[in-house]
Order: sequence, then structure tokens, then C-alpha cells
Amino acid sequence: MFEYLNQAESIKNIVTIGSMVLLFIGLFGLLTQKHFIKIFISIAIMETAIFLFFIGNIFNKNFTAPIINDGFKNVAIMNDPIPHAMILTAIVIGMAVLALGVSFAIEYYKLTGNTEIDKMNEMRH
Amino acid sequence: MIGFIILFTFISIITVAFFSIIQKKEADSIILFMGVGLGSVILFFVFSAPDVALTEAVIGAGISSLIFLMALKHLKATA
Amino acid sequence: MSIKRTLPTSTISGFTLSAVLILTFLKILLENLPSSIHRAGDELLKLNTQEGVANAVTTVVVYFRGFDTLGEIAVLFIASLGIGLMLSENSQCEIKAESNFMLKTASTLLFPIITLYGVYVMIYGHLSPGGGFQGGVIIASAVLLLLISHKDFEVPHSVIVLLETLAGVSYVLIGLIGLFTLDIFLGNFLPHDVAQMGMLVSGGIIPIIYIIVGVKVGSEMSMIVQNLIKRGENV
Repeated sequence: MFEYLNQAESIKNIVTIGSMVLLFIGLFGLLTQKHFIKIFISIAIMETAIFLFFIGNIFNKNFTAPIINDGFKNVAIMNDPIPHAMILTAIVIGMAVLALGVSFAIEYYKLTGNTEIDKMNEMRH
Repeated sequence: MIGFIILFTFISIITVAFFSIIQKKEADSIILFMGVGLGSVILFFVFSAPDVALTEAVIGAGISSLIFLMALKHLKATA
Repeated sequence: MSIKRTLPTSTISGFTLSAVLILTFLKILLENLPSSIHRAGDELLKLNTQEGVANAVTTVVVYFRGFDTLGEIAVLFIASLGIGLMLSENSQCEIKAESNFMLKTASTLLFPIITLYGVYVMIYGHLSPGGGFQGGVIIASAVLLLLISHKDFEVPHSVIVLLETLAGVSYVLIGLIGLFTLDIFLGNFLPHDVAQMGMLVSGGIIPIIYIIVGVKVGSEMSMIVQNLIKRGENV
């Protein structure tokens, strides 16, 4: 079983299916939960799923990390550094946006006092 | 061996994420989200991406979860 | 549990149908990729050895895609500005209990060690995994440790403003110097020998820019964390 799981195609299948299941768990939490913090956590879980999908699908077992150490190695056997740089930017920006959203939730709680989205009906009357 | 590690870690991440959303108290939900961050750090390390693993460990399982905890303290103030 | 009472069957069926459709679409897409993809990273890895920097991801973030990093710093600045504006200054957060003696001593002893580790990760960003973003957030977490264990600790506002302004302005100034000397915005105008790869002083302006980014990110995250702790309660 270990030899079957070590092939490149089965690793791609595992990564695709696993990260898509994680994305749908996050979507399920976004649709059904009512507290503010749980909605933000669902959004963060969806972002983590997308990062795993990205990095997992360019993974090649025979290549190493894109860092040169102790002299020149043959650069053709290293991983691709461009997706790593993009995901680095995406992680930082995701954290910044969630921090801003959390401050909105705190200010709304100070004004009206409710923390659930079911009771946000000030515009209804 | 790598395929088995990836499969096992994915199954644990999915379980911990599902339990993180189901919880009734919000503090437990944030702590279980840190577990999702830890699992993804392990996966990034197995995928030969050390920069991304370090960034996710510091930001995802560090500052981001702590910002949620600080906001939870303010959201529960009753006085 | 209350989940079964709140979900109608149409939601669950729509959920599973969309999941199945998206998964089959992804499978068809991933199976029909050509076997020999010419990666764009191959060209960049060859160009990277000309810059004399050991960490290829650092070169991509700072030099080849340096304009995107400038935009990312702008996004972080806008987020920090928004948090500072939203949380009003009139709220006073009183921590009512004095901390334990052990907690105060341990956090005072740990703070310089964590800061030193953050500065190490920031400076050695072009030789090993790390860089400005990681080191800056490590320094901000050290400040967070001191903020929650001592009642009256506060980072002075003027120090953070000064650090952030200087770092942001010098990033753009270095880019403009590159524009005037080499006709490339954010070009590498300092000497970068290939023989120096692996040394601390190598790679031209790349470690300098990453240190500037680290200072800016660290001060911004400290400001965000301090605003979230000190300015949250009701008046």
C-alpha cells in the first residue's frame, strides 16, 4: 500500500480531494454558523484549503527546496519558487483583512450589543 | 512513505476543522483552528516549501489566532 | 445537536451536487495537463545565481516581483489605518487583576530572546528560510507577550510612527535611486558578486530591502495588537 500511495498521481489525487473537502467544510461553516468569530474562522479555513491545494499540486518528489547551500547545485532539480512567493503574499494579506473585519465586529458590538447575525435587523423597520 | 504521511495529515486536518466549526463555545473553536494551522505547517514542510511553512507557523497559528482571542475577550464583555 | 433542525434538505442536496460537479471538473482538468510543462521558475532559478543570493524565494519576492511587495505593504498599511480609525480612543480597558510574580519575571526574561530571534530571522532572510515578514511578526508577538502580562506597559505612539514612516519612505527612495542609476525601478545598483553567495554581505540591495520590510511590518503589527488590547472595552 505504501508503494501505491507514493506515486505522483495518487499524491495529486489526495491533495486535490482533501483540500476541496476542507474548502467545503469551510463553506458549510460560513453558511450555517451565526456568531461573528465562527464566520471569520470559516473564512480562514477556506483560505488555508486554497493554499494547500496550490502548493500540493506543484510538488514533485524528486526535487528539493529552492535554496542553494554549500556551493552550486544543479538548478534544474529544485522546486518552482514563484508559487511560494505568491502564497507568502496571500497569507499575509489574508491575516490583515481578517484583523480589519474583527475590529468591525467589535465596534458593532459596542453600538448594539448583539453578536449573532440573526439579530442584525436594524434596517427592517 | 510520503504518500501515507500526506494522507494521514489530511484526514486529521479535516477532522479537526470539522470539530472546530461544530463547537458551541467560541474559545474552543479558536483553539481547534490553531490545530488546523499546525497540520498545514507539517504539510508545507513535507511539500519542500520551508518559507511558506515558516510564514504559516508565525502568522496562521500565531498572530491570527491570537487576534481572534483578543476580539473574543471584547465581544463577551457584559458590564 | 441543532444542526439537523436548521438545514433544509435543499441546502444539503445543492451542497453535494455542487461538490461532485466541482470535483469532477478538477479531475478532468488535472488529468489532461501536458506531461512536460516548461516551468517559468526554471528561467528564474538560472537568473537567481547571477544575483548571488542563496534563497530563491527571497529573490522572487524582493527583486523579480518587488513591485508586488510594495503593494502588499500598502495593503498592510491600509488595514492598520482602518483598525486605528475604527476602534475609538475613548474606551478605557482596565485590567483588574495584578499579574503573578512568576508571570512578570518570566515574560521580562523571554522578551529580549524572542526579539533577538526575530531580528536573526529578518537579517538572514537571503541565506535561509525567513525574511522580513516572518521576523517582523515574531517581534510583534514578543510585544504582545509583554502587553498581556504587565498592566501598564505601552509602546509609545511616536516611536512606532517614526519607525513606520522611515521604513516606508526609504523603500520608495531606494526604488527611485535604482531608477535614476540603472533605468529600472527597484534595480540592483549595489555590487552583487556571485562569489559571495552564502555570505552575509551579498546580493546587493536585497537584504537591505528585506530589513526595511521587516521593520515596517513589525511596527505595524505591534500597533494593531496594541490597539486591539487597549481600545476595546465599553466606555
